[in-house]
Amino acid sequence: MNFAGLVIPLLFAGVFVYALVKRVRLYDSFTEGMKEAIPLIVSLFPYLAAVLMLSELFEKSGLSNAVTAFLTPAFRALGIPPEIGKLVLLKPFSGSGSTALLSELFSAYGPDSYIARCACVAYGSGETVFYILALYFAGARRKNLLPVLIALFSNFAAVVFGCLLCRIL
Amino acid sequence: MNAIFAALFLLCAAVFLCSDPNGFLGALLSGGQKAATLSLSLVAVYCVWLGFFKVLERSGLSEKLARAAFPFAKRLFRSEDKEALYLACGNLSANILGLPGAPTPLGVRAAERFCAAKNRYAADMLFVLNATSLQLLPTTVIALRLAAGSSSPADIFLPTLLSTALSTLLGALLLFLFSRRRADG
Repeated sequence: MNFAGLVIPLLFAGVFVYALVKRVRLYDSFTEGMKEAIPLIVSLFPYLAAVLMLSELFEKSGLSNAVTAFLTPAFRALGIPPEIGKLVLLKPFSGSGSTALLSELFSAYGPDSYIARCACVAYGSGETVFYILALYFAGARRKNLLPVLIALFSNFAAVVFGCLLCRIL
Repeated sequence: MNAIFAALFLLCAAVFLCSDPNGFLGALLSGGQKAATLSLSLVAVYCVWLGFFKVLERSGLSEKLARAAFPFAKRLFRSEDKEALYLACGNLSANILGLPGAPTPLGVRAAERFCAAKNRYAADMLFVLNATSLQLLPTTVIALRLAAGSSSPADIFLPTLLSTALSTLLGALLLFLFSRRRADG
């Protein structure tokens, strides 16, 4: 994995050297870009806060556990190990929560077990849909149920597919 | 979003009322706290990448890169807006490379422009592509497995890649089909 570590420093160095050759005022440009960071986060903050509060409520109220228990038979029928059901459900809501859950699964079943491998695929093939929804459609006053459903469905299909792959590969 | 939020919120509140009324405010506050800490770390990430992208823009490199991806992006997003397409291309390539945090500021600004231009299809497509994860190298997972003492941490690379490719393609295809039906009807 050394290669992955090299990408970012090389990218920065390469672009900055190219910019210098093109006589770009590096310091001025770099700081000017940063000016947009605070306004951007200020406009996103309320949506982020609301979504995170909701996901916290969902988790702490025990509803997320109840839903997991309820869906376990369905998961088993689709070939998803019930142990990772909670991860599949949590992933769209909380990135940090599912990261924590993933490492719990590693220590409970061992990182090379079938369950852990399925969990990796479930974690890696999807995204935190509701977080992205909060960010990307912040303040957009329109119905956007369809893309959300499509994203959730596609991610779920990928989990089913990934668990199947883990059994074969 | 309003309806989903109201329904889930009230449902959770009802459960709290029955089981643990004192935990309600605590859960809300801890959500808010998470948002605050996340925002602070996002500010740091945005500073780095927005600064970097400004340098990229000024050097003229971004235009060269965008020109190469343009014909493809135009068809993908059905948009003629150069600025928004450039942002969207940057978002997608940062996603694929898995540069931590880099896709969000670009994607958010592209989505804003698409929404402002009332290009609903483009904004939806951008969202679906982002929400189905394009990342080629699952760096977080590999690092976590390594930390947990896995004998070959990178061996989930192939199944993850295949299933994330499936989710992205499926998402894009479904959106395409649905939007055609909407246009016909």
